[in-house]
Amino acid sequence: MKDISLVKILPMEPKVPFINMRVIAAVLSVMAIIASIFLFSTKGLNYGIDFTGGTVIEIDTGAEPDDAKIRTVLTDLGFAGSTIQGIAPPEGSGIDHRLVRIGLQLQDESNEGAQAQQQALTRAVDGLKAEIGDFKIRNQEVVGSAVSGELRRKGMLAVGLALLMVLAYIWFRFEWQFGLGAVIALFHDVILTIGVFSLTQIEFNLSIIAAILTIVGYSLNDTVIVYDRIRENLRKYKKMPLPDVLNLSINDTLSRTILTSLTTLLALLALYILGGAGLRGFSFAMIWGVFVGTYSSIFVASPLLLALKLKRGVNTGNAEAREA
Amino acid sequence: MLFFSKWKITLILGALMVGFFFALPNALPSETRKDLPAMFQRTINLGLDLQGGAHMLLEVDLSSALDSELDNQVDSIKDVFREQRIRTEFLRKENGIISGRVRKAEDMAKIIGPLQALAQPVDPRSLSQDKTIAVKQISDRNFQVEITEANLEFIQQQTIDKSIEVLRRRIDPQGTTEMTLAREGKTRILLQIPGAQNVDEIKERINKTANLSFHMVRAESNNEAAMRLAFEKGTVPPGAAFFPEEQGGGLIVERRTKITGECLKNSSEGIKPETNNVAIVNFTFNVRCARLFGELTSKNIGQRFAVVLDELIITAPRINGAITGGSGYIEGSFTLESARELALLLNAGALPAKLEIVEERTVDPSLGADSIRAGKVASMIGLMGVGLFMWLSYGLRFGTIANMALSLNIILIAGALSLLGSTLTLPGIAGIILTIGMAVDANVLIFERIREEAHLGRPPVNAIETGYRRSLAPILDANITTLIAAITLYFVGSGPVRGFAVTLAIGIVMSVFTAVVVARLITATWLRRKRPKSLPI
Repeated sequence: MKDISLVKILPMEPKVPFINMRVIAAVLSVMAIIASIFLFSTKGLNYGIDFTGGTVIEIDTGAEPDDAKIRTVLTDLGFAGSTIQGIAPPEGSGIDHRLVRIGLQLQDESNEGAQAQQQALTRAVDGLKAEIGDFKIRNQEVVGSAVSGELRRKGMLAVGLALLMVLAYIWFRFEWQFGLGAVIALFHDVILTIGVFSLTQIEFNLSIIAAILTIVGYSLNDTVIVYDRIRENLRKYKKMPLPDVLNLSINDTLSRTILTSLTTLLALLALYILGGAGLRGFSFAMIWGVFVGTYSSIFVASPLLLALKLKRGVNTGNAEAREA
Repeated sequence: MLFFSKWKITLILGALMVGFFFALPNALPSETRKDLPAMFQRTINLGLDLQGGAHMLLEVDLSSALDSELDNQVDSIKDVFREQRIRTEFLRKENGIISGRVRKAEDMAKIIGPLQALAQPVDPRSLSQDKTIAVKQISDRNFQVEITEANLEFIQQQTIDKSIEVLRRRIDPQGTTEMTLAREGKTRILLQIPGAQNVDEIKERINKTANLSFHMVRAESNNEAAMRLAFEKGTVPPGAAFFPEEQGGGLIVERRTKITGECLKNSSEGIKPETNNVAIVNFTFNVRCARLFGELTSKNIGQRFAVVLDELIITAPRINGAITGGSGYIEGSFTLESARELALLLNAGALPAKLEIVEERTVDPSLGADSIRAGKVASMIGLMGVGLFMWLSYGLRFGTIANMALSLNIILIAGALSLLGSTLTLPGIAGIILTIGMAVDANVLIFERIREEAHLGRPPVNAIETGYRRSLAPILDANITTLIAAITLYFVGSGPVRGFAVTLAIGIVMSVFTAVVVARLITATWLRRKRPKSLPI
């Protein structure tokens, strides 16, 4: 059997001087973080109704919709400032016209709670039906401000808690420098992801929180693989200077890093292009996360061990057990 | 690492078979599925965002339940004072506390004992000694009555349980709809109805309390001055209440009544006798209330009584004779449709508290179908892309091993989702597709390690053996951390996000199993059969 393992193209012992690039990387990362924080504090995020509360409906008018007319009707009904957005019909749905997504802008009712929101929705739907004819509501979401506040709190709690638990696990499995290094790298990833969402103003909703947590998982996956190899090489090459050990470990795992990133990106690209509008934000965040996560494992998490002054040969206990 | 004992092989194959059998029903058309044993009828449960349906979160207004408990206590306290023939200077409730003052200090000694006797065990069925109220003497003439914490909790629990019961009867009178009604947090109810089409009708039924009661109309209703006071200032004589009428106007009625919605045995819509288009709601009282109503009507011939629904008088007919049969009808401005709706609500009983829809997500089945279609296409393409990539990277031999592990992984995920009855949501589909990409990671790690070990000069079997052994720790570490993130997401997240966490977690566990155990078994079998001299990677 003649084989075409393309993996053989990847050099067996790559010697990319990653650690030497740590200053450039640090500058790059710090700048990116500053930019992200700046964007977040000036432009903010385009929060979806999960986090702001509000009313969104997606309607199918049965023919090409007249956006201007819809806007006029809504304004006349007292919903000035509502967002009206045409969306391409999903592939294979048999719909040949655009659908309309309406984010209802309440005026004075907005402070009166969920009941008022429901009444406003009924008024808007009835009013629209009277003016533009009957339509089908494909999706209807009404989130009260109490609920959205809770979702926001819970989302932040989820990310924070996940970071803490992960810190605890790595601390338990490795030394504290590893735990801290990994968590700083994760903060880096999370901040940069929020920065990108602020820059692109892609809707930030509950599924993005899920994506961020998955990025945390993915990036960590990557970091742990490199760390594990660092730990192994620290035992193996007791005399080698720490920067060299770090560089060797990153290079040892490089082919795996490349292959796994590529397969994950392949799957995510399929999701982004073919998965429908509902998952686009999520898959965008994840694709970004794969890049950032891979970058941070190599250029943030590993050099941090140098900065954190990792001690040699004190306690690398688990590696020993494995070798036995 | 490469030796598998017989029982281990049996166990692994057994696990795969179980996964396969539970996954299989998903691939079968539903007609074939019906003939299978019940155990294999289970398929992946689609979330509301995929099959369409309504999701609502209802906030229970517990303050009204608390308020009516306070009213009851005030009534009991008044009864005690009446029995003891002691007068109060004032008795009022504010901020959930009833406070009162007796005229003379020596009355306090006489009244405090009977007042304290009002405290009942919160839940007679439970063993706890918690009492309903706490009576405190504040000064020689002042006292306070407070609802205890335990009682508050009990009222909360009861109110929510009763609300759920009533909602179930209202929304699904026949008991045929598959729906979820469950307490969520402290003060909320989660309602999920798959495939619901009549969302507006359901909302109507949630919004109506359907509190029905019959009150005698007081003579003050004919007194112009009293009516003006009631209208403009809302002040009514003691023991009376003012309710607006449906057709405008209003009446002053007796506040207390024993004829309430609880009295109704049955109600139905109908047409008023001797007319052909006046819609009415027929009702039958239970035996106790039939007697009460008989007594009430025979004592008050010529008077009027008001039928009050949710603080609105529907009708206030004059009593022409004693009504002893225990049945009657309500005539209001009904259409046949609204009469039927009211009868349904009355049969289901009144909600013990107002409900507010604080979150609603309704998805049309057509949108769900579109999402499923897109998800299927994306996962097929993703799967094919990753499979092809693995073949190209690792060649036929190891590529096939990785891809077999990947396919088994997908089957096991489907099997696990069916077996656990967990719900597949739109983000859940994303989780599966993501798993497809990440699942090969463990295999990549192993293969890269094998390549490395072979490069160091180890012979094939030794290289494979060492490769598997040395990659185990990083694989476990890496996946456990992701698993931690997934579990956190499950416990803190809600709704669709939870669905994502479940698929992600299952995907992680299954990918480790298939890569570390199943793929190793396949590799070991191949090694034993072929005894290769060199490695094809």
